[in-house]
Amino acid sequence: MSEPIAHSCGGAAHLDPTPVVSIEGLTKRYGDVTAIDGVSFSLQPGTVTGFLGPNGAGKSTTLRLLLGLATPTAGYALVDGRPYRELEQPNRLVGAVLESNDFHPSRSGRDHLRVLAAATSIEPTRVGEMLDLVGLATAAHRAVKTYSLGMRQRLGLAGALLGDPKVLVLDEPANGLDPAGVQWLRNVLRNFADGGGTVLVSSHLLAEVAQSVDRVLILSHGQIVADAPLQELASPDQTLEDAYLRLTAESAIA
Amino acid sequence: MSAALRAEWLKQVTTKTMLALFGAMAGLVVLSVMLHGFGFSTVQLAQRSNQLRVFVEAGEGLGAVFAGLIGAMSVTAEIRHGTIRPTLLATPQRGRIIAAKAATSVLTGLAFGVVGTGLAAALGTAILSARGVAIHLDGSAYALLLAGGAAAAALWAVIGVGLGAIVKNQVTAVVVIFVWIEIIENLLVDGAPAISKYMPATLGQAITGDRIGTIHTPALGALLLTVYAVAAIAAGVVVTSRHDFA
Repeated sequence: MSEPIAHSCGGAAHLDPTPVVSIEGLTKRYGDVTAIDGVSFSLQPGTVTGFLGPNGAGKSTTLRLLLGLATPTAGYALVDGRPYRELEQPNRLVGAVLESNDFHPSRSGRDHLRVLAAATSIEPTRVGEMLDLVGLATAAHRAVKTYSLGMRQRLGLAGALLGDPKVLVLDEPANGLDPAGVQWLRNVLRNFADGGGTVLVSSHLLAEVAQSVDRVLILSHGQIVADAPLQELASPDQTLEDAYLRLTAESAIA
Repeated sequence: MSAALRAEWLKQVTTKTMLALFGAMAGLVVLSVMLHGFGFSTVQLAQRSNQLRVFVEAGEGLGAVFAGLIGAMSVTAEIRHGTIRPTLLATPQRGRIIAAKAATSVLTGLAFGVVGTGLAAALGTAILSARGVAIHLDGSAYALLLAGGAAAAALWAVIGVGLGAIVKNQVTAVVVIFVWIEIIENLLVDGAPAISKYMPATLGQAITGDRIGTIHTPALGALLLTVYAVAAIAAGVVVTSRHDFA
């Protein structure tokens, strides 16, 4: 009796918690073109993971497969153990922003969120709370076509947070944000992860990534070339940029 | 399902698209009734079948076209503006999305059909009376005109949803609807009436009681047009379910 207890107590700190996102052997081919090839990784609660890679490396394809917008050629992507397309009301589990301008231009910011809230049966009061959170309360009644890129990023993030999800998936969320906005976004993501949430954020802004993530995934030519804690890639001897350029160049030669 | 329905309804009423299409339809109905009502001779307009045809062509015809457009645009506008991504992220069950779009488009289509045929009948009757032409349509003919116009537009809205889901591109969907109704089916009416009476635009006319070039049974017309609508939605669900959204 005593041994299993001691074992579980001693081992608990080292056991990985159940991954909330697990991707295994994920492959997508479009005709002869292989967009991603055997991508595997998992995401743990309480972490912010930076998803890096050159343009065309397959980051967006990976995120679309994870979120059920496209069907993989091989492999699988699971959220809470299930494919995204089998989830009921997935926005209560996953909030995602894939493009910065996925809005109807003549719909107001508030109405955009009301539509999303209705689709997931989220109480309408949450719409106002999210508009306050992202600082769009005074612009909420205006058509989205009058919004700046930074305001659209904030509205997208409000939509992602609407369902109080456990996972955030964001593609280039810092584009168009001013320095104060970037710092604000960093704090939102950090607080989200500190509250037990899981964040996967793609970015080209390596200096910003180095300040805001716990872990780094680098994708190059459709394959994962690095999956490591930030400290392993960015140290006093080499910046994250050095590591990134070396790893993506190596895979280009190979 | 009810959540997807509420979301689809909110989408339709939170942009200006529906109002703009409604206004365009009403304007064209007025124009069409006036052209026919004043353009034809009183001898031609004295015939019951021609009276009905003027009302049907303007009211049911334009109601069905615009209902088809609003149905198609409920899909294609989402693809054009990128809102299809948040829509599918919220409701990844694609058949459920298409079904919700079909259901809300039925409601919108009914409204387009009732207003289109109602406006055409009211204005047309007034013009004929003003020209001293005796009206040969009784109450049941008007009732069938309104009910048939509403049903035809509702079914055309569903066909539009299916078409939009299949072709995805907004301009393509709009062009297909106009070319089909205004050109292809019109050519068939002249060249192959045995075929054209089973085509969707002509079936819509049949539902209203119009007997010129149609099958003469409104109920059968409604049934056959329903078959088109169900087939369009089924094809739309299949295509959408297999599609990789970028």
